[in-house]
Amino acid sequence: MKVDIRQSTLLDLPEIMKLENSSFANDAWPEATFHSELEAPHTYYIVALVADEIVGYAGLSKLAGSNQADIQTIAVRLDQRGAGIGRALMNALTAHAIKLGATEIFLEVRADNTIAQKLYKVFGFKQIGTRKKYYQPDGVDAFIMKTDVKAAIKAEPVVLGIETSCDETGVGIVRGNQLLANIISSSMDKHAIFGGVVPEIAARAHLEALTPVLEEALEKAKLTLDQIDAIAVTNGPGLAGALMVGVGAAKALSVATGKPIYAVNHLVGHVGADILDRGELQTPTIALLVSGGHTSLLLVRDLLDDVVLLGETIDDAAGEAFDKVARVLGLSYPGGPEIDRVAKDGNPTAIRFPRGLSLPKDMADHRYDFSFSGLKTAVARHVELAESKGEEYSIADVAASFREAVVDVLIKKAISACNDFEVPRLLLGGGVVANSRLREVAKEQCEKAGIELRIPSFSLCTDNGAMIAALGAQLIMAGRAPSSLAFSAESTLPVTTVQS
Amino acid sequence: MKIPAASTRIAEYSLAIDTSAGTSVAVLSMGKALAELNYLEPMTHSERIGSAIQDVLTQANLKPNQISLVVAGVGPGPYTGLRVGLAAARYFSIGSGAKLVGVCSLDAIALDYYSTNTSAQELLVSTDARRKEVFWATYSGVLDGMPVRTHGPAVNKYEDIGSIVGINSFTQTDIGVRAGSLGQIAFAQDLAGLSTSSEVNPIYLREPDAVPSKGKKVSG
Repeated sequence: MKVDIRQSTLLDLPEIMKLENSSFANDAWPEATFHSELEAPHTYYIVALVADEIVGYAGLSKLAGSNQADIQTIAVRLDQRGAGIGRALMNALTAHAIKLGATEIFLEVRADNTIAQKLYKVFGFKQIGTRKKYYQPDGVDAFIMKTDVKAAIKAEPVVLGIETSCDETGVGIVRGNQLLANIISSSMDKHAIFGGVVPEIAARAHLEALTPVLEEALEKAKLTLDQIDAIAVTNGPGLAGALMVGVGAAKALSVATGKPIYAVNHLVGHVGADILDRGELQTPTIALLVSGGHTSLLLVRDLLDDVVLLGETIDDAAGEAFDKVARVLGLSYPGGPEIDRVAKDGNPTAIRFPRGLSLPKDMADHRYDFSFSGLKTAVARHVELAESKGEEYSIADVAASFREAVVDVLIKKAISACNDFEVPRLLLGGGVVANSRLREVAKEQCEKAGIELRIPSFSLCTDNGAMIAALGAQLIMAGRAPSSLAFSAESTLPVTTVQS
Repeated sequence: MKIPAASTRIAEYSLAIDTSAGTSVAVLSMGKALAELNYLEPMTHSERIGSAIQDVLTQANLKPNQISLVVAGVGPGPYTGLRVGLAAARYFSIGSGAKLVGVCSLDAIALDYYSTNTSAQELLVSTDARRKEVFWATYSGVLDGMPVRTHGPAVNKYEDIGSIVGINSFTQTDIGVRAGSLGQIAFAQDLAGLSTSSEVNPIYLREPDAVPSKGKKVSG
């Protein structure tokens, strides 16, 4: 038997009244009372349907700002009792009460209704008092029952995450530490002729992709929005106009569904991605995040409370350097995979390109910072010089030598951070992690140094909504309060702000 | 104005959102605004939008699932802000199960103008489009609750509009966009049985400002 539970509307009133009058012969609510209950802003009424017919209903009352909720009523049609419908209704009501921030739920029940009392006890309700002769005209007492839901905070919240910080529109869904869906729509192709991400094009693409990506994620997770416990959204760092699309959408979805919202940090989300691959995040860890927009080295002692930015690029991001060098070599966009492909046949030691911020004089102030602008210029000079002299040069050698220089600096600095802070693990994240040489060298060097290397699967490394959902779930499981609706999109959000 | 028979719908509540200039949000019942909030500042759309929607619902004493129509102002207007309202309208409509329709933001200004100036005359509505251009449309009056647009929306240099339209003197207005008026227009369209397009997309009127990469010279 399939039972559907949905929020009730005024259109359900006639059916509900039929059920009310047959279930509570002598103490049924009048229709006007029910009408105002359904309309009141502080109530939540649901109906249970079997074969599109209403066979049960239940209602909750929870005033904003109060930690107490009341179960107002619950009824199941006589011929449908004993099929778990009452339990399903109670499940939905208590879950909603918790979502609204209730820590205690109260109800009243007829002293002679032992079947209902049994159901309530399953949900932890205990009798805390009696109202003498409360039910009239029968003169039956009411038991006041209460359950403490603080302990029942959902162990595994279902969180929907929205990511629009750069050129990927992502919606992901997780349950606790488990990945349910990770849908990504990329506008990469639209940027190709420009040789890099154009913010206005990215933002337009986000708006277009929002609806299909959300629908696909829900379908993949086999969930409806009612079954989501909370919404998480990236509010920075990233491209301002792109971030705002996700922020506007997420806030409206939160208001429309009544689900709490968590505004989270994109870079910390990248670190959290590993949770979905291995079921937990082991800390402390050094995290190297490398993409078209970021090149950051983080020390993560605790995902929610202790993330430190050790260093970042002072000019181009590593992925951007790949794009620019690809253009110099006449390769297409995005540059990373193209250079990776061409470099396969090249000699990585053919040309000694500069390693940015690696000289002793730079290491004092920029031990964990990166610079790729000089490298990019060196590659361009090399190519232009060869061309001006009419000399042949090997694109493969240039690509391989350039790639080697980038990878060398990235991994050296990451490993030295591990050593300096005595952290036995390194986590990689960001789109550039797809680079085969980066993975290879990371593996070699980590093995040599006795450092555990973590590289989440690629769909979790590139920008995605699942990692944002995962970070939101961690915040909820740690008992963090939702964000206020007033947060803003912040293009330069620091990593120390995990939640806004 | 015809009023539909009460039996067709128990409650026709709509939520209208416009971020083509400031942030304006309204809740309407049968085309009449129950609550409206206008934030006139031009840069705070993504901060304001969530609480603005929540606040008008609270003021109107309505729950989100009582909204059966979401009306989005589709511009034209500065793109970054405009998209915030459209993104919010899309996800509110999915979250609440309400239908989504779009209305040209300039139409709301025209409706407000004609509501106090009944004599039919050629009205030019224009808003700043930066780069010494304006977003504009012209109107000839209001019919069945809907402004009658004669030209536009378009983006041009202000001084070129006269020759495009073929008239040189317009009545002009500096009224801002009010979401309540957008909702009013959508309700009138609904009554008239005019199906608004199901695709609710922003009116950009300009291609993204980017130049395809030409040469490969980088080092200068």
